[in-house]
Amino acid sequence: MGEANGPIERLLETLTQLPGIGPKSAERIAHFLISGDRKVAVELAEALRCVVEQIRPCRECFNLTASELCGICADSRRDAGQICVVETPRDVTLFERAGNYRGLYHVLGGRLAPLEGVGPDQLTLNPLVRRVHRGGVREVILATSPTLEGDGTALLAGNLLAGTGVSITKLARGLPAGGSLELANAQILADALAGRREL
Amino acid sequence: MAAEHAIALVVRGSDWSETSRIVTLYTREFGKIRGLAKGGRRLRSSFETAFDLLNVCQILFLRKAQGGLDLLTEARVEERFPALRSDLSALYAGYYVAELLADGSQDYDPHPILFDVALGTLRRLGTPPADLFVTLAAFELVWLRELGYSPRLDACVGCDQDLTASDGREPGFGFSPTLGGMVCRSCAASHRDRWPLSVLAWRSLRELTTGHSAVAVPTGVRNEIRQLLSHAVSAVLGRRPRLLKYVEAGSEAGGSATNTHRRWQPPKPG
Repeated sequence: MGEANGPIERLLETLTQLPGIGPKSAERIAHFLISGDRKVAVELAEALRCVVEQIRPCRECFNLTASELCGICADSRRDAGQICVVETPRDVTLFERAGNYRGLYHVLGGRLAPLEGVGPDQLTLNPLVRRVHRGGVREVILATSPTLEGDGTALLAGNLLAGTGVSITKLARGLPAGGSLELANAQILADALAGRREL
Repeated sequence: MAAEHAIALVVRGSDWSETSRIVTLYTREFGKIRGLAKGGRRLRSSFETAFDLLNVCQILFLRKAQGGLDLLTEARVEERFPALRSDLSALYAGYYVAELLADGSQDYDPHPILFDVALGTLRRLGTPPADLFVTLAAFELVWLRELGYSPRLDACVGCDQDLTASDGREPGFGFSPTLGGMVCRSCAASHRDRWPLSVLAWRSLRELTTGHSAVAVPTGVRNEIRQLLSHAVSAVLGRRPRLLKYVEAGSEAGGSATNTHRRWQPPKPG
């Protein structure tokens, strides 16, 4: 598409580093940006520059924000007695989209994966413990992925928070609303049975 | 390209794309294999949630003729180890087992005994009354033996003389990591790398090689045995296993499966 080491090749190489973008998709996007409306390309470049320069972790919860405190931590209408512990800022977006949680968050910055070299020190566990020790928290919801690594992360966080006196809870598991028993696998059914509730 | 069936333990996994996963599996039939599971991240796929770490599953895969990743086409969970999700020391020990299987073996080099022992180890971890230290040490000894690096404990590696308990009472009795076995007092001078080993530790090690899960290892010699095994495993891998610091921290905290509510502290970095 372009000469080696030229600006187009550089753009293609950069685009292929993005998740889910292969060489063909990169070519299509690059072609659109070069041949289409120049304004879109300039706006994209400006937006990317702003994100890189301005976005940083929230001082309190480590969610991504352009200010010292993120919009959720700064919102006095949120319930400061509840902290939902998630792995990534993307998870915060998912919970906010669900729309029924009014507490605060704490972003761990990943999950405990010693096999991949991610240990407790790479996560924001100490700030979480300090936050809980400061007081005013009555419940910590451990909302990590329902995988072995996610459960291990929740287990470690739970151990570190033991003795703080706050209630430590985990997300429920089982059948999705609107789903069918026929399509549920054995693990989903086992989780649903284990987490059954009285009517 | 023929489809192959196998029973496999998931020892490593990483996301490849929004929907696919690359997994490393330790199979009973073929040893270690690495495969691509297209759609493996979707809940509703032919893999369901089979490729979560340390799951045992039945798999169907297409073997690539010339290197590269095999293509996984189906998987069904056969066994999970729920105790690992409630005891952090046991979980780290489970990860350690996975690390040794993933990094200490070659592709397509089957060791069915090692596979069976690994599953037995994972079943015992975190399950009272199993002793985590004994369970893991017994696994490490089988792993070393299966790879051809079993430490020689019955006789001196220098002079081939059988060792008896009386040898242990003399200064110089110890373990030579270079030669991979015990050295008697007479040979000690020519093996300066030897580690002094108490008679009790030596006896316990010999008992552990029998593979019995009910071996009682006195608390006083556990550190000696831990150090020796850590060194032997690191020598075979060519590096210190990532999980060793977690396993050693668990051992120091008295990591026993009967103590599932003990508060585990993360190891110091480094």
